[in-house]
Amino acid sequence: MSEKRTVKRQGPTIDSIPLIYRHKIPISKTHRFWQGLAEGRIRATRCGTCGSIYFPPQDDCPRCMASGLEWVDLPKRGTIEAFTKVYARPQGYEHFDPYIVAIVGVGDARIIGWLMGVEDERNVRVGMDVEVDVVEVGPGKLVPVFRPA
Amino acid sequence: MMDRAETMRRVAVIGVGHSTFGVRGDVTLQELAWEAIAEALKDAGLTQKDIEVSVVGVVGTREYELMPAVPVNDYAGLTHVGPIRVEAACATGLAALTTAHNYVASGMADIALAVGVEKMTEVDTATSLAVGGRAGNYLWEFHFVGTTMPAQYALYASAHMARFGTTEEHMALVAVKNHRHAARNPKAHFQYEVTVEEVLGSRPVAWPIKLLDSSPISDGAAAAVLASEDAVRRLGVDVPVWVSGIGYSSETPNMVRRPHYVGLEATVRAAAMAYKRAGISPTDVEVAEVHDAFTIAEIMAYEDLGFVEKGMGGKFVAEGQSDLGGKVSVNVSGGLKGKGHPLAATGLSMVYEIVKQLREERERGRQAPLKRYVGLAHNVAGIGHQAYVVVLRR
Ligand SMILES: CC(C)(COP(=O)(O)OP(=O)(O)OC[C@H]1O[C@@H](n2cnc3c(N)ncnc32)[C@H](O)[C@@H]1OP(=O)(O)O)[C@@H](O)C(=O)NCCC(=O)NCCS
Ligand SMILES: [Zn+2]
Repeated sequence: MSEKRTVKRQGPTIDSIPLIYRHKIPISKTHRFWQGLAEGRIRATRCGTCGSIYFPPQDDCPRCMASGLEWVDLPKRGTIEAFTKVYARPQGYEHFDPYIVAIVGVGDARIIGWLMGVEDERNVRVGMDVEVDVVEVGPGKLVPVFRPA
Repeated sequence: MMDRAETMRRVAVIGVGHSTFGVRGDVTLQELAWEAIAEALKDAGLTQKDIEVSVVGVVGTREYELMPAVPVNDYAGLTHVGPIRVEAACATGLAALTTAHNYVASGMADIALAVGVEKMTEVDTATSLAVGGRAGNYLWEFHFVGTTMPAQYALYASAHMARFGTTEEHMALVAVKNHRHAARNPKAHFQYEVTVEEVLGSRPVAWPIKLLDSSPISDGAAAAVLASEDAVRRLGVDVPVWVSGIGYSSETPNMVRRPHYVGLEATVRAAAMAYKRAGISPTDVEVAEVHDAFTIAEIMAYEDLGFVEKGMGGKFVAEGQSDLGGKVSVNVSGGLKGKGHPLAATGLSMVYEIVKQLREERERGRQAPLKRYVGLAHNVAGIGHQAYVVVLRR
């Protein structure tokens, strides 16, 4: 390689006062989803008026202006449509080993979760059939997960 | 809606400025913005007194200053002419250009300035990855699975590879090309070349994306001065570069609601709008700066912008069609990959490069050969959450 010329200008710095955010996220309108997750189910909403399915679930249907949608369980089997393995982990995930993220088509919806039971991402294929589950991967942290079917 | 564009005034870019990109631990946000603003004013032959409105683009999610637009404007001596603050994540630069353009086109101002500035290196990489990953759909993605910007593009790469046979080598060729251009750009973050082997052997970031497939975390600023046709005539501008068409669009932030993972629909729609307004077709474009945040993004951009049909982007780069002097000279500045990607600065950095190209001010080895003098800038927010496409003509 030629000489690696990189712009890297450092100078004296001072530290800012740290700012910590911890948000309280309202889940009143999606309460049934969070409840379902704890029971190992992944729930979407369905508009009783126009039939639209929403995942992520939402209680309001902008297509027909209805509110108070019904809850439906998504199938527990699906097919991988896209995947990656995250090596460069973001703040909040540093203590996990590199993890495989996949987007999986389940019935009329798609969900995103972690693929487990596969070490090497090069063995994963788009089109692979998987089973869907929910796993507590850390204290109180529930994640939709997939395993090869 | 489209027809109304014809009642607007023509707008030209009459001055551009660009800081050195890279790790700029030597300056604050406003000091960095000043480097670009000062150069743009000088390039236009104007002073702050001539600017009627200032548009400041900054994402401002990694900086210590939470309301950065006013300090940026004030430092540059523009206190009484704005700022209008604009934010569109990584597409902030062209969103700022669009806003400044609209002030001039509508007649609200004769001369406007747009600046995009970002300082990303004041926080560590894990924080930067989290901010990017949290942006656009925190609750239903990051909260569960810890996706990052590289991971989101990697999901698309996996689908593109599976569907069209695109390979890691194709992606590596984008990095090799863009580093080659960056090596010749004294304002680029990385001024060195890389080989296909080095790209393929670099450490994984989010499979199949590796370090040398990624744009870096950079600091930088870029600016442009825009003027009405009257002002261009009054000022006697030698080579005005006309904003000939602007397109914009967006897409659901929920990746699981996207129709597919092989292209960015926001780009397709923004490009169609820009081409229609400019009255051109994709084959007219001779030089383009596209949003190669990751190498797969450039491959998808060739397709979504209509330079080649869907699925053929890997072949396009392998055949050298996007090289300097190819069918379209793409990312002759070094792109986000080689030049760096200080979010809000990027779109205006693209405009800076295209203006220099259309004025034929670049040295040999970096000047695209031109016949029609049609250039294009393509700026994307998130994983296609938003997209802007701007056609520039001499
Ligand atoms: C890929 C990434 C995680 C690497 O960050 P990192 O692991 O912290 O790397 P460091 O900053 O520690 O740099 C280590 C070395 O690699 C180099 N480097 C960092 N990023 C690089 C990149 N993208 N390409 C080439 N070299 C890079 C550094 O210059 C440094 O070189 P040196 O050792 O010779 O000084 C980071 O650049 C990144 O997150 N990029 C994506 C940014 C993004 O998402 N932008 C928005 C997109 S829309
Ligand atoms: Zn409905």
